[in-house]
Amino acid sequence: MSAIPQRRRPWWLGLAVIAIGAVWLQQGYGLPAASGYGGVGPGDFVMLVGAALIVLGLALLAQIARGDSFDPQEAESAEAGARPSRRALLFAAAGAAIPLLTMRPLGFPLTAMLSFALVTHAFGSRRVLLDCIIGLALGAICWLGFTRLGVTLGGALPLAGW
Amino acid sequence: MDAFHSLMAGFGVALQPAHLMWAFVGSLLGTAIGVLPGIGPALTIALLLPVTVKVAPTAAFIMFAGVLYGAMYGGSTTSILLNTPGESGSMMTALEGNKMARAGRGAAALATAAIGSFVAGTLATLGLTFLAPAIAELAFVFGPADYFALMLLAFTSVSVVLGTSRVRGFIALFLGLAMGVVGIDGPSGQARLAFGSPDLLDGIDITVVLVSLFAIGEILYVASRYRSAPPAVNPLSGGHWMTREDWRRSWKPWLRGTLLGFPIGALPAGGSEVPTFLSYTLERRLSRHRDEFGHGAIEGVAGPEAANNSAAAGILVPLLTLGLPTSATAAVLLAAFQSYGLQPGPFLFVNSADLVWGLIASLYVGNLMLLILNLPLVGLWVRLLLIPRPYLYAGILVFAMVGIWGVGTSWMDLLLMFVIGLAGYVMRVYDFPIAPVLIGLILGPSAETQLRRALSIGEGNPMVLLSSPLSIALIVLALAVLFLPGLLRKLRANA
Repeated sequence: MSAIPQRRRPWWLGLAVIAIGAVWLQQGYGLPAASGYGGVGPGDFVMLVGAALIVLGLALLAQIARGDSFDPQEAESAEAGARPSRRALLFAAAGAAIPLLTMRPLGFPLTAMLSFALVTHAFGSRRVLLDCIIGLALGAICWLGFTRLGVTLGGALPLAGW
Repeated sequence: MDAFHSLMAGFGVALQPAHLMWAFVGSLLGTAIGVLPGIGPALTIALLLPVTVKVAPTAAFIMFAGVLYGAMYGGSTTSILLNTPGESGSMMTALEGNKMARAGRGAAALATAAIGSFVAGTLATLGLTFLAPAIAELAFVFGPADYFALMLLAFTSVSVVLGTSRVRGFIALFLGLAMGVVGIDGPSGQARLAFGSPDLLDGIDITVVLVSLFAIGEILYVASRYRSAPPAVNPLSGGHWMTREDWRRSWKPWLRGTLLGFPIGALPAGGSEVPTFLSYTLERRLSRHRDEFGHGAIEGVAGPEAANNSAAAGILVPLLTLGLPTSATAAVLLAAFQSYGLQPGPFLFVNSADLVWGLIASLYVGNLMLLILNLPLVGLWVRLLLIPRPYLYAGILVFAMVGIWGVGTSWMDLLLMFVIGLAGYVMRVYDFPIAPVLIGLILGPSAETQLRRALSIGEGNPMVLLSSPLSIALIVLALAVLFLPGLLRKLRANA
């Protein structure tokens, strides 16, 4: 639990919460006003949520200003107190982002291969070819199996028209 | 004896060979994911949701129940042998159980955990059998204002109980509520916060949010702080099974744990942390071997394990009778009901008696299966831990993509997966609880509906929310949950 004390104050966390609240408040405000017997329109609940988020964001900023500590959560195979590896995080995030680019043109099996290889790389595996083969096999098995179960996962390779 | 007859009919459903098969698959899967790190029962059920298009609801829920109970059994295995509790409910088990395993008493610890889970699971299911129909009867008198007050209670309690800070708990809850309003508003037909995207008109699917927060968030978090040293598994060999002395020391904690777990699990605050913690404290106080606590006292395994399992059954009470989820797993089960067009609540017991009672009966069956699966096969389950971590987490990502892409092959869902996954990472780093997001997302829309309905009945007068004794009581309780912990702390500081 202990380890490196977090010196920096994460102001941006409170600001992000306030920003989300502001978007919801503004969007709720733009919706038509009350209708029906209740006097509650479609925008009122949205505005309520937005306003609450702004208040909570301010409360969070107050906590941060007071210097409250934020201890990372415990997880298996992870050291909560360890200094995070930015490189590993970037590779894992790339694995989660790559489907945005490849899922529609390349289809599920190849996308699964790329994501699989990126995440194994993030976890320190350096056998790229083997990782790609395992990823492709897993992706193909998932695509076949789940498509048979009635889950639509799109074409196997849309670029080739499959 | 109405419940008894219904239960017998339920056994008629649960004991059909096909349903037994689904219960077996669920138990197997549940134990496996309980043992593996990074995947919990909520995530597993969410990933299984798309598959259910081809499976009848009764079969699907029997399988989900197996996953729910199986994860409890699997979770205790890893906390005893590895000292890594897979979920918060088995934290207390790890405390004493791992010490026992280190002293070569691993087999006895596993046995008392498994048998205790069986005893507690069976007794708590019995409680569910007779309590749930009664509460469902009660729920018939609930009006919109009462439902709204009940949800307020659920909101405040999950935000306060499931985290270290109330502010962060409520931020998590309101982020869930914020995502819940996205899409077309039923009563007015207005598109809300869709930002011009047709994909968002249907709203944000809970599967997408749950999978992103739990799977993607976890992968990013573990990747950035990965400890590549292999986990040290305590050897099982040479251990003795439970001795006569162990049995004598175990049976009372089993029963006491069950009694603690079930009612607390059934409360809207729910959760399994509180009852397991209480059980551990209680056993420590009552034990004649108090000096053994901290060095591997068997009571410290037996009690919390029983409490954990009976709390899991308790969670089903508000879920089935009121449609009120009190944990992440319950939230995804509610989503499963909704995807079949079923609304848990009093009418479920009338309209889908087969399903409800088949599900409850299958809990008895599943418990027995799990006992058989777990006692002799522990050695096999532990082997799952030999899967190299890079492949395990990369595999989780592939399954997460199946779950999310399978919802509707929508690019927007993939974008949400990435963004919400990053949010899940941030929430882990800065210690925000995750379950309130899901409770807010799934209960928010119905809370809004009930609020608007209540206000329509009251013609806009907000006092209608306090018009029945029940709603007043529930709102007072909700405020108490919110302010009592702080007040108590202040009183204690003054004393």
